[in-house]
Amino acid sequence: MRQPIRSRLSRAALAAPLLAAVLLAGCATRPPASDPEALADYQQTNDPAEPTNRRLYAVHQAIDQYALRPVAVGYRAVVPQPVRSGVRNVLGNLRTPVILANDMLQGEPRRAGDTLGRFVINSTLGVAGIFDVAESWFGVRGHAEDYGQTLARWGVGEGPYLFIPVIGPSNPRDLVGFGLGIVSDPLSWFGQGAVVDGLVYGRAGMTVVDTRESLIDTIDDVNRTSLDSYSTLRSAYRQRRAAEISNAGEVAPAAATSTGFGVGTGMDQQRR
Amino acid sequence: MHDLDRRALLGTALFLTVAGLAGPAMAQADIGRAANFIQSTGQELVAAVNDQTRDIAARRQRVAAVLRRAVDVESVGRFILGRWWRQASPQEQQEYLKLFEETLIRNLSARFGEYQGVRFALGRTQQRTEDDVLVNTVIERPNTAPFSLDWRVAEINGQPKIVDVIAEGTSLRLTQRSEYSSVIQRNNGSVAALLTAMRGQIQQLAQREQGR
Repeated sequence: MRQPIRSRLSRAALAAPLLAAVLLAGCATRPPASDPEALADYQQTNDPAEPTNRRLYAVHQAIDQYALRPVAVGYRAVVPQPVRSGVRNVLGNLRTPVILANDMLQGEPRRAGDTLGRFVINSTLGVAGIFDVAESWFGVRGHAEDYGQTLARWGVGEGPYLFIPVIGPSNPRDLVGFGLGIVSDPLSWFGQGAVVDGLVYGRAGMTVVDTRESLIDTIDDVNRTSLDSYSTLRSAYRQRRAAEISNAGEVAPAAATSTGFGVGTGMDQQRR
Repeated sequence: MHDLDRRALLGTALFLTVAGLAGPAMAQADIGRAANFIQSTGQELVAAVNDQTRDIAARRQRVAAVLRRAVDVESVGRFILGRWWRQASPQEQQEYLKLFEETLIRNLSARFGEYQGVRFALGRTQQRTEDDVLVNTVIERPNTAPFSLDWRVAEINGQPKIVDVIAEGTSLRLTQRSEYSSVIQRNNGSVAALLTAMRGQIQQLAQREQGR
């Protein structure tokens, strides 16, 4: 029981040196005070590590082109839509502990009640979370919450923008939230051995595939129409996080995770 | 003197009361007008997209025509260029607006043109902001989960016009502003470099449309 926690903690701890490397390596030049407009722009963009971030983005684009996207396209082609929905619902249901904890940490009892009720109904009537009957029969829609959002509600600033290969757009606050989400998830506390590890990695792998699948069209569109996809993603990520934090409408569904592209999963399932 | 003060006070109070009553009523009227405008524009777009009697090129042209009428292309374009607008020469400004209109209309009509079988409805939340109205719509397509789009509608010369589209909390004009600004900055503040990139992009879009 102790071993898996430690290995997961150490995985989260891996992020720290990576973060340091990102911050210490190339920095964008801050415009002089004599150019207030450029300075305002620089501050608004909030990307002092831009040269390094862009290099990491290039790495990500290569990984995406040769691994992530092809796998996601294959998944979409081979697995029929109802099965993919089921997978997405199960992943969303498994995120309940994290969402519930953050509903409560943000002092949102009604949303916490929704989350708990959905979990009970979907885990039983919804056959282990495969069918989202809480929404289709009872009209209670899922929502996402994560530690990054809770930290934001508690007044923690986002910090400088970061781009991390595979994980995607982020910042120190959301990255810490992402780590907390992994460490605090009770599903990662139970048992050990090959079966448990298999389930844990299987779930992580499915989350990546499901997320990328839900983003195929969106990212294709960005790559096709943007003159600078790096800055498009940066702007979109920061705007979307701001909307999520303010709980303005249900921007992200339950299967979404805290950082990066994570929110993509089921992002087309919008509030109604 | 005191009387005058009192009269001024009363007058102000009366004015405030009337304004207080009229304010929300006017906001309601604005919201209704903007929502009606989006409703009718949306219906025109849906009709153009779903018109089975025409081929995809013709459908796209009809979509583009509706968009040209409904979107305030110039103010959106100027907003997106932001602080670089003033740094551009008058010729560059002219050319930018021309290229921007073409990029915007081509991109949007290419995207909407593919939405076969699309349906849309006004959503629940219509709200007034400081100087415009946000109209929420729900877009439904076959085999796709419904998603919501917010349209920012402003009064331009007494006419309601679309000035922004917001999906998943992401504003199209803010995102594009960041994109264009980044292109200019990475070319040492040259607006001409952005124009070159835009021309290249339009060429690519045109080639892709012909390839279809």
